[in-house]
Amino acid sequence: MEGAPRTEEPTSCRVVGISHCDSASLLWRVEDLRSVRSQGLVGSLLGSLPRTPRQNSRLGRPLQLLPEEELLLSKCHTAASLPPANQHEGGSGLVQQVALQGEERRRSYEEQSIIALEGRKSAVLRAMASSNTGSGSETCQHKAHWDSLKALDQSFTFPLSALAVQLSTARVGLAHCPESRAFLQAHWSIRVQLSQHSEARYEVFRDLRRRGFYLTSAGKFGGDFLVYPGDPLRFHAHFIAVCLSKDKPVCLLDILSVARLGSNVKKTVLLCSPGGGGVLYTSLQWSGMV
Amino acid sequence: MSEKSPQNWILVHPAYQQMQKLEVEDSEQIHAAFLVYMDLTEVRRWKEVSCVKSPELQLVLLEGKEKEDTPVQTVLPLPVHRSLTHNSIRQVMDRGFPMLLCAVAADSTLVYQRLTDGLVTPDPPVGPFQDVGRRKHRKRRQQN
Repeated sequence: MEGAPRTEEPTSCRVVGISHCDSASLLWRVEDLRSVRSQGLVGSLLGSLPRTPRQNSRLGRPLQLLPEEELLLSKCHTAASLPPANQHEGGSGLVQQVALQGEERRRSYEEQSIIALEGRKSAVLRAMASSNTGSGSETCQHKAHWDSLKALDQSFTFPLSALAVQLSTARVGLAHCPESRAFLQAHWSIRVQLSQHSEARYEVFRDLRRRGFYLTSAGKFGGDFLVYPGDPLRFHAHFIAVCLSKDKPVCLLDILSVARLGSNVKKTVLLCSPGGGGVLYTSLQWSGMV
Repeated sequence: MSEKSPQNWILVHPAYQQMQKLEVEDSEQIHAAFLVYMDLTEVRRWKEVSCVKSPELQLVLLEGKEKEDTPVQTVLPLPVHRSLTHNSIRQVMDRGFPMLLCAVAADSTLVYQRLTDGLVTPDPPVGPFQDVGRRKHRKRRQQN
């Protein structure tokens, strides 16, 4: 486990975009799924497959992240919330956006027409300067220049078709510079107020991830996490992690039932309590004394 | 003596009396500890079983060896409907011996759970595995 990659350090991994559907955090893009998996986060697939919609053993996108996985990603500055989908905003948001774009376009037109007028004028002035060297017949030419300069001032119109419009096509996916990644972290604390238990869960999740384990949710086994020694596609889970604070009283019957279940599925139950800068692990196994 | 002993033999048992001398307030836990003591000494034939008091938890603990040549283990006996904290488990573990937690039900059913510091990888499943045979069997049934 020692040689396993550490995930806590700020990574150079690409930023993944998370869509929020109520409390669920979803990943939709294949490259995001791949990136998250390469960081050792498993999540769970939710979507039905187009060819086989009436089964739920093999599922496809989207991938739902555990709250701990999302928090870990955002602490490493490698996750960003995608803006809410347009259908939630309704028409008014769209109308506003269109108005804003029109305003922007008009201002740009005004700026560009001033620049264009100045360009024309300076061209005329340059022509005047070059023709000034001579004399005689050039005086009438000089007068013509003055006239055209006046005409420009009065009746110059910048054709709309000449308006230069910038289309931003280079920005594909999410590219965040380090500064803006710092904001991503701040965003989390606003969105979710952590309860004490979820804080404990996160501490445990982070510590076990750092030890190189893969974790998935353990709803099936009555615990907080299932702990795999490697990728869940290749290994059975070794542990059922139960997160609890050090001084929270737990009913002995609950301990017995989770230990019994653990021995039935050949897994060790791990009592995990964060505190004192680390996490305290106690393995709970049936003694074999009949 | 012989008339009242059928009800009270526990009270006059030397091990029980020794436990009471430990000045643990919790009489229910003392009773549980005594049942575990009897199980360890009489049923499982553990050696050198003794009772000690945990000053932090104010509970009776048992210490003994499974066999002559095996290391000492600490047993925490507890009535099954009680609750305990992770901290109290660690305090028993801090005595330095392998630890067993024994839940004592009202009908004196006992179950021992082993508690170990750190992550103990479970033993790999032992073959032969039945799945292969069962699948063959299913196939054969389909053919019929």
